[in-house]
Amino acid sequence: MSDTQEIIEIKFADHRGYVPIGSSVIREDALAKVTGQAEYSGDISRPGMLHGKVLMSPFPHALVKHIDTSKAARMQGVHAVLTAKDIPGENVFGIAIADQQVLADKKVRFVGEPVALVAAEDPFIAAEAVRSIKVEYEPLQGVFDPLAGIKEDAPRVQEQGNILLHTKVRKGDYLKGFADADVVVENVYRTHGQDHVPLEPEGGIAWIENDGVLTIYSSSQYVFRDRKQVARVLNLPVNRVRSVNTTVGGGFGRKDDVTVEILVSLLASATLKPVRLVYNRHESMMTQTHRHPTITRVRTGATKEGKLTSMEGVVYGDTGPYSSLGIFVIKKMALHLGGPYYFPNYKCDSISVYTNNPIAGAFRGFGIFQSAIVHEQQMDELAAKLGIDPLEFRLKNCLREGLSFSTGQVMNEACGIAATLERLKEYMAEHSLRFSRNMEVV
Amino acid sequence: MINNQKDVLMDLVINNKHISIRAGGGRCLLDFLREDLSLMGTKEGCGEGECGSCTVLLDGKAVLSCMTPMERAIGREVTTIEGVGRPGNLHPLQQAMMEEGGVQCGFCTPGMIMSGVELLNRKSNPNRDEIVEGISGNLCRCTGYRKIITAIERAAEKMS
Repeated sequence: MSDTQEIIEIKFADHRGYVPIGSSVIREDALAKVTGQAEYSGDISRPGMLHGKVLMSPFPHALVKHIDTSKAARMQGVHAVLTAKDIPGENVFGIAIADQQVLADKKVRFVGEPVALVAAEDPFIAAEAVRSIKVEYEPLQGVFDPLAGIKEDAPRVQEQGNILLHTKVRKGDYLKGFADADVVVENVYRTHGQDHVPLEPEGGIAWIENDGVLTIYSSSQYVFRDRKQVARVLNLPVNRVRSVNTTVGGGFGRKDDVTVEILVSLLASATLKPVRLVYNRHESMMTQTHRHPTITRVRTGATKEGKLTSMEGVVYGDTGPYSSLGIFVIKKMALHLGGPYYFPNYKCDSISVYTNNPIAGAFRGFGIFQSAIVHEQQMDELAAKLGIDPLEFRLKNCLREGLSFSTGQVMNEACGIAATLERLKEYMAEHSLRFSRNMEVV
Repeated sequence: MINNQKDVLMDLVINNKHISIRAGGGRCLLDFLREDLSLMGTKEGCGEGECGSCTVLLDGKAVLSCMTPMERAIGREVTTIEGVGRPGNLHPLQQAMMEEGGVQCGFCTPGMIMSGVELLNRKSNPNRDEIVEGISGNLCRCTGYRKIITAIERAAEKMS
């Protein structure tokens, strides 16, 4: 911040006797939640409502040869049985890139991929009808590891190839950086997938209003995007779709992309009745997005004085068979692999790979957790090799105003890592804490 | 399997009110409460007894309503979140959960409060370890539990 810039003190209006910043405020919706009155997606019903159920693929990768819904369609209490051919608009969605089919058309790409939909008068009939649908599959070789997926002869998860995005971040001369280094630490890190497990599984209800507007109440993080995606699949103008957010029982990124909104809309539009669909936990875990598993190969160099000189890394992100928000999550890893530290030379790549594993998408942290596992362990190992206290080593190398990030962006504000480390140092001194040789606080 | 179980006479006390209705049997207590009585405050998070969101009191004891056959409640007393306290007449734990920030997405909250109420009924002044033990069957994905534990402590202080 320049010296001439004035610091403006912001005064908030004293409203009903309190100033919001610095005071404890009770959530607006807390009363409804502690009394059980808050309405989540599965709590809403309408007269004449039907129950939706999804038939999901048992195979990670298979051709769909034939679907026989005749028995389900004849069952008493069943109002609709839908497959890909019943979709009025385009059979495609995806919050970043529309590469995901709503209902499997010619092939399935993961265990849990929706293949058919049923709407019935009670949940037992819906479940029975789903079980009576016969699907003939021809299993295909699958891709279950991103390193296998990038090989030339790997089975194709998507027709255009298995690499969704390759991001390259370059700064300085990384080879010169390693030539200047006295110590180099090289490692491979693997991080696993993770389910968000929002305590409320995904759910929603849709109906057609008297004026013909399709109305959806769902547990969503992004109703405006949901509405656009529903319109495309149902072949409706966007202004004929109304998306309303219910109380959301946890999202954490899981409910960023469409969950059940398109499915309940298809069923409501086919039956002209309200249809509610709430996933059980098992269905939710199979069919919804997760955190990306990653594999990172990395090397980091520093001088004997403890100054970082270079970072080189490649990240392989397992994004599952569809992009969701995976394209951005793994892209960010190439940018953030060096963490909040200054590298004069930097060369990192991240490759988002389609596989037949569960879909990966937004999850809070958005690729930063996986990066932190890498850069913090690299820092610890370098400090140990150099015989420098790990906190001092970080203080020597952390980003400060005037220094540039991996992309070359110069930090000119909101660069709090040094202050955070200084405060930690004071705290550890006050409490007589120190790092042991294996980096535990003792 | 289509639910072709015979109707049963559900004669019991719910939230201090005696009811007697015929209902399709063979379901869990959670479904009976939500589908037949529209008591939507009790939540289903997993349906297999792992998360505690469906906790209700059966004769004063905390039970998982998703794992309890509805017939087991016949002739007994069930308390759900709707019977704990209403706006204007809150249970001290409901008030403390609001004030301490023990509520975020709120989906675990009814079950968490039921476990907390049971604990406070059987122990007037639980220590932190006893509180942790008391809510050990209830999962929360938002708060990290600390504020919920503090809320139960606060409620215990108020009630003593």
